[in-house]
Amino acid sequence: MPEAAPLPKRTTRSSRRRLSFDTAFGRALLQVAGVAAFFALWEIGVRVGWISAFLVGSPSGIFSFGTKMLLSGELLSDTWYTLFEAILGFVIGTICGSLLGLALWYSVFVARLVEPFIVAINSVPKIALAPIVVLWFGTGLVSKGALSVSLTAIVALIAAYQAAKDADVDLQSLLISMGADKHQVFFKAVVPSTLPSIIATFRINIGFGLVGAVVGEFISSQRGLGHLIYTASSLYDLNTVWVGLFTLMVMGFVLYYVIDIIERTSLPWKQSNTTHQVQV
Amino acid sequence: MQSIPVQLSVRNVRKSFSGKAGDVRVLDDLSFHINECDFVSIIGPSGCGKTTIFNIIAGLLETDSGSLKYRGEEIESLRGRVGYMMQKDLLFPWRTVLGNVLLGLETRGVDRVEAEGKAREYLTAFGLSGFENAYPKTLSGGMRQRVALIRTLIMDPDILLLDEPFSALDYQTRLYLEGVLKEAVETYHKTVILVTHDIDEAVALSKRVVVLSGRPARVKIVHDIDISAPSPIAARSDSRFSGYFHSLCAELDIQTEKTT
Repeated sequence: MPEAAPLPKRTTRSSRRRLSFDTAFGRALLQVAGVAAFFALWEIGVRVGWISAFLVGSPSGIFSFGTKMLLSGELLSDTWYTLFEAILGFVIGTICGSLLGLALWYSVFVARLVEPFIVAINSVPKIALAPIVVLWFGTGLVSKGALSVSLTAIVALIAAYQAAKDADVDLQSLLISMGADKHQVFFKAVVPSTLPSIIATFRINIGFGLVGAVVGEFISSQRGLGHLIYTASSLYDLNTVWVGLFTLMVMGFVLYYVIDIIERTSLPWKQSNTTHQVQV
Repeated sequence: MQSIPVQLSVRNVRKSFSGKAGDVRVLDDLSFHINECDFVSIIGPSGCGKTTIFNIIAGLLETDSGSLKYRGEEIESLRGRVGYMMQKDLLFPWRTVLGNVLLGLETRGVDRVEAEGKAREYLTAFGLSGFENAYPKTLSGGMRQRVALIRTLIMDPDILLLDEPFSALDYQTRLYLEGVLKEAVETYHKTVILVTHDIDEAVALSKRVVVLSGRPARVKIVHDIDISAPSPIAARSDSRFSGYFHSLCAELDIQTEKTT
């Protein structure tokens, strides 16, 4: 006789209590505690002399530099400048890329014709274009925007094209049997079914928008967080570098949640009311 | 009996698909006809090309040769004039129930207010009022298929093409929806062609059953079903039901006796 698997025992009180941190408040508490512990360790390490303040900076230094830059308005103007470049590149790149990708659905012939070129362009590391972009568009806002566009457009194009190709053929057939023409199939079946994929690229592309802006500022710029980080690091001013990096992190963080809200409001049919996972 | 006019006739239709192992002939010289207000079931072995016939009638595929005649007129296909329903309910997930029902009228360019009024009327008639703004994923399989049926009927199609519409549903829901379908077809005076694997369903619903041979598909025999029951469930208790059932099983070469 094969032995039967033991029956699961009734959960005891102690194992249940462990889950009590799994609430919004409990999680926030743990997250804040983790961050605080990290900075405390860092600060102690620097003070005791385990790590060199010259190479890694120190939280207290970052804080005092940060407040000074914030109060002088310098940090805010750099932040706005970089944010503007990133969003400009993101919006133009994502819109143009998505529209082009969707348009390729219309002609299988054209799509097949340009496919190797899209792959080729995609395989070029766009960052390598930065020096040329600066040559062409100067050291101002336009060159950063252009770099961001070059990064985001191709991602959006490929995602939109792939999603349009993958759009449910049966839904399209149903529309055709109802007498719909190609435009109606496109707007009623193809475009809505690609929306989740296109919006999913927003998350990736907002990051790429920032990459384009910051790298553009590294190459040549008078303003922006990339400029701030680059000049500070060449002067071994690590605390200022960290101020720039943390500001970028906060910016990316906020943008991510903005995209999250856009996704939830524009795709109500995708939302489920439950967050249940299989309990293992 | 002979006085019922023919609505659609399919004549000498051939169709083959090119595959890796050369051409596969799916339909070979297929002919049959559908009367006005007919309810015809097409049964046959799996993969014999039943769906291909529908795709040709609906204008999703072209024939290699042969013709379609509609009320005496030679036609290319019935695209835009059929109501196609498949095993998958094919509700558009981003549209609400109301939006899905409106789909066909929208493609036709019917005035929005008029279309919405009609849609609400149908939804009420099929017991779905109150669900207008629900998304399909929140509905049960039976409700979704009912929405699909409304979406099909509201376009007032000349012929309903039903491709195993109930086969993904549980038995009770299927029985219920068969009743809904039969009633709707009689209320709106529709012609129906039903492809099914379910011989029981074919006998309970149809006026005639077309039996196809294996690929390439030809018409093996057409059975008239002479049961006039008020509902598909009542039809199943008709004295002639099991007789039809067994003769159709025999046509399809299904072993009904124990093999020795």
